[in-house]
Amino acid sequence: MPMVEIKRGDTVLEARGITKRYPGVVANDHIDFEIRAGEIHAILGENGAGKTTLMRILFGLTQPDEGEILVFGEKVNFRSPLDAIHLGIGMVHQNRKLIPAHSVIENIILGHPSAGSIMNLKRTGEEITELCTKYDFTIDLKAKIWQLSEGEKQVVEILKALYRGAKILILDEPTSALAPPEIEKLLASIKIMTGSDLALVPFITHKLPIVLTVSHRVTVLRRGKVMARLSTANATENSLAREMVGRDVIFRLEHVNVEKGKPILEVEKLSATNDKGLPALKEVSFSVREGEIFGIAGVSGNGQQVLAEVLAGLRDSMGGKVFLDGKDITRSSSLDKWQKGVGYIPAERIDVGSIGEYSLADNVLMNYYFDDEFNRWGILDSKRIRKLTEALISEYDIAAPGPDTTAKSLSGGNLQKLILARVLSRKPRLIIANLPTQGLDVGATEFVQNKLLEAKKEGAGILLISEDLDEVLSLSDRVAPIYEGEFMDIIPIEQVRKEDIGAMMAGLKHKVAET
Amino acid sequence: MKLGNYQVKLEKKLKVTGLEAAAISTLAIVIALALVSLIFLKAGVNPLIGYTKIFSYAFANKFGLPLTINRSVFILLCTCAFIVPFRAGLWNIGMAGQLYAGALGAFAVALAFGAKGSQNLDLSPGIVIPLMMVGAMLSGALIGAIPGFLKGRFNTNEIVVTMMLNSIAFWLVAFMIKDGGLFMGAGGEGEGFKLPQSLYAPQILGGPFTILIALGLTGFLYFMFARTKTGYQIKTYGLSPSAARYAGISSYKIPLLVFIIGGLIAGLAGYHLFVAVPGVYKITQNYGDFGDLSFYGIICGLISLGNPLAAIPISLLFGGLTNGGRYVQGELQLGFGIDYALLGVLMITLVAFQFFFRYKIVWKKIAKEKKDV
Repeated sequence: MPMVEIKRGDTVLEARGITKRYPGVVANDHIDFEIRAGEIHAILGENGAGKTTLMRILFGLTQPDEGEILVFGEKVNFRSPLDAIHLGIGMVHQNRKLIPAHSVIENIILGHPSAGSIMNLKRTGEEITELCTKYDFTIDLKAKIWQLSEGEKQVVEILKALYRGAKILILDEPTSALAPPEIEKLLASIKIMTGSDLALVPFITHKLPIVLTVSHRVTVLRRGKVMARLSTANATENSLAREMVGRDVIFRLEHVNVEKGKPILEVEKLSATNDKGLPALKEVSFSVREGEIFGIAGVSGNGQQVLAEVLAGLRDSMGGKVFLDGKDITRSSSLDKWQKGVGYIPAERIDVGSIGEYSLADNVLMNYYFDDEFNRWGILDSKRIRKLTEALISEYDIAAPGPDTTAKSLSGGNLQKLILARVLSRKPRLIIANLPTQGLDVGATEFVQNKLLEAKKEGAGILLISEDLDEVLSLSDRVAPIYEGEFMDIIPIEQVRKEDIGAMMAGLKHKVAET
Repeated sequence: MKLGNYQVKLEKKLKVTGLEAAAISTLAIVIALALVSLIFLKAGVNPLIGYTKIFSYAFANKFGLPLTINRSVFILLCTCAFIVPFRAGLWNIGMAGQLYAGALGAFAVALAFGAKGSQNLDLSPGIVIPLMMVGAMLSGALIGAIPGFLKGRFNTNEIVVTMMLNSIAFWLVAFMIKDGGLFMGAGGEGEGFKLPQSLYAPQILGGPFTILIALGLTGFLYFMFARTKTGYQIKTYGLSPSAARYAGISSYKIPLLVFIIGGLIAGLAGYHLFVAVPGVYKITQNYGDFGDLSFYGIICGLISLGNPLAAIPISLLFGGLTNGGRYVQGELQLGFGIDYALLGVLMITLVAFQFFFRYKIVWKKIAKEKKDV
C-alpha cells in the first residue's frame, strides 16, 4: 500500500494511450482517462466497445500493447492482478468469484495477507462489521454464500475488496443482476464510499438512468475509442446513448396493441422442483393468448427459470398440467415441443443456447436438424442450412463473416441475435424468452425487443421472463411478479404501477399505498 | 517471454487445416524417432540400422507386412470403437471386453452349426460366415450397451463400468475355452476349438476381407459425423450435453447408441482377430495379449482427435511399429522392449505436439527502449 496521503479530487489513476490489439480488432485504441479520489467515474460502452479489455488491463489481467498506467502518480507495470491489488485497486466481477460452500467471512479473508495458517475470525469479524457500519451494508457474516441473493453476493465482493484496502474500486455491471430495492441500497452505499474519498469505476453497458443518478463523470467508449468525456451534469440519457451507439436510440417502445386471439398456452397449477430437489414452482396457473406478451418479473432464483425449463421440456413437472392449443403437453419431450411450435430462447446463451465450437450454420441446425426439410433419410441438407444461415445473418444483421464462423467468435449481442433468429425463424406458436436482453448493449436490446414485438404482431404468444422491470413493463400486455415460486398477482398493463411490481418482486403482498 | 532482442509469445490459433495437422504430426514422429535413437545408441546399435530394420520388416517384408496389416486393421477397428463414444464425450475403455464378447459370439454361431465336431466339416460359408459376423457384432453391441444404458439412465461413470466388464469378459472367455469349457479345443491346451476349413474367412490379395470392412467402416463413420443427423446429434451431445438437451436430443439415447455402435465395432475387431486372420481361426491361449493391444485404440483415437480418416495412417504406424519393434528386438538381441519404448515416446510426442494445433509461437523483435525504473 502506498503511503501517499490522498486528498479529495486528487488524480488516483491515470491511463495514457492504452492500446490493445487482438487478431483482426483493436480492442482499445489509445484510450486516455483519469480518475480522481471521491468520484464515481462511469465507463460506458456497448458490448464489444472495449470495456472488458480496458477493465482487464486496469486490473492487471491483461497487458496492454502500448500506453501506460499511473496509479497515485507512479507509473506501474502490472504483471498480474496481485500487483494491482497491492496498489489498492479492487475489482468486483460480474461473474461472482466466491466459494458457494464457504461463509461470507471466510470468503472475505480468503487470500488476504493477514490470514496466515491460523485465522483470527473474531478480530476479522469485528473489522468487517466496522466496514459494514461505515458504508451501511447489512450482511450476515456467518451465512454461506449459496444462501445469498445476487445483491448480497455483490456486497461480499465489495467488502472483500475494501477489506484488502482498495482505494480504487472497479465495478463490472454492478446493477445488472439486482432487484430494484437492492439497487437503491447499493447506490446509497456507493455514495457513502465516495464520501470517504474512494474512487469508484463502474463499467456499464445499459441502465443509463442509473449512470446519470450516481456518477460524477462519464467516459464513453465505442469500437475501442473514447467517444466522449463528460461530466454527468451536462449529459442526458439521449446524449449518452447517441455517443455509445452512434445514432439516436428510442427508449420508450410504443406499446403495440394487437387483437388477442384464443389462448395458446394454458398452465394449470404447475409445480416443479429445482436442482436441489426443493420446491421452486408452487401451483402456478396462467394462460398466454395469441398476440399477447405475458411478462414475468422477478429477481433471479424465484422459480422463473424452473418454469421456463418445465415449459420447454427440459425439466419434469411435479404436478399440474400444461396445454398448448388445447392439447396436453405436460409430459412431452423437448423435441416434441419444438415440433409442436414451442420456441425457447434460453437465458444461458453460451452453455445451453449455442455451441461455441460449432459454426453458425451448425448452431442454426440445432433447431432444424429434426425437420424433414433439412434431412433426407437421415442425411443433412448442408446446402439448405447454409442458405438459411446466410439469410438469417443478413436479416438479423449479425456481425459475422459468414455461416462458417464459429459461434464463440461472436459477441454476446450477436450470439443472442443468432439464437433469436434461429428460434423465431421457425415461426413458433409460443415463444418462451428467458432474459432475452440480459447483458446486451442498448442497440442489441432494442433490436431483440423489436423482434419480439414483431412476432407478437404476427400472432405468436410470448412468455417473457426478465429481471429488468422497465423491459417487462414496456413490452408486456400482462405482468406477473414472481416471488419464491408463486405469482404475487397477474396485472393487465394498464393497471400496473411500477412501484407495486417492484415491491411484489421483493415479496411484499400488499400494494404500495397510494400517494 | 524475452529472448535477447526478441519477444516470444503464444497466440491462439483459430483453425488448423488437415495439412497443418498432418505436418505437425509428422514432425512429432520424427522427433520421437530421434529421441529413441538415444536408446539405440546406449544399447550400442546404430539407430539408422535399427530403424531400417524396423521399417523394412514392418512394411517391406513378405512375412512382416501381412502381420503389420492384420495388426493395424485390428488397431483401426479398436480405434473406431473408441472414437464413436469419444465424439459423444464418453470414454470407451472396454474394447478388450467387447472384442472378447465378439469372439465368443462368432464361435457360438459356429458351435451352433456343429463346427466343433470336425476340421473337415463341410458347412456353407455363404450362410455361416455372415452369421458369425453378425454374432460377433451383436455380442459386442450387447456388452457395449451395458455402460451406455447405465450412463444414459443413471449417469454412471462409463469408464469404471467398461473397465469392470473387461474383467468379466476376460474370465468368461477363460471359462469357455479352458478345461471342460463349451468352446474347448480338441487338444485341451487352454485354447478354443479350431474352425473347420470351410469357415475360413475369404481372402483378398492374401489378406483377410475384414481389411475392406475396416476401411469401409472408417469412411462410413467419417460420413456419419460429417453429414448425417445421427452424427450431428452425437457431436452436439459430445460438445455440450446441456445444449443437446435444449435442441431436443435425448441424453438417454445418445450414450446408449454410441456404446452400442462402439461395442459392435469392437466385436468386429474380435471377429477379425480370431476368425478372419489367416492361420489363427480359434481363440488362442494368449487372447489376453490382444485385449491389451486393443488399448492402442484409445491412444490412436486421441491422437487422431476423433477423426476416423486420420485414424487409418496412425493405426498403420502403430501396427507397423509394434510388429517391427518386436522383430528387431530379437534380430539385434536387444535386452529391452524396443517396441514399447518407441510407442511410449511416440505417444508422448504426438500428444505434446497437439499443443500446436491450438497455439502458434510468434517471434517479435523488440524495439529498443529505455528500461523502466
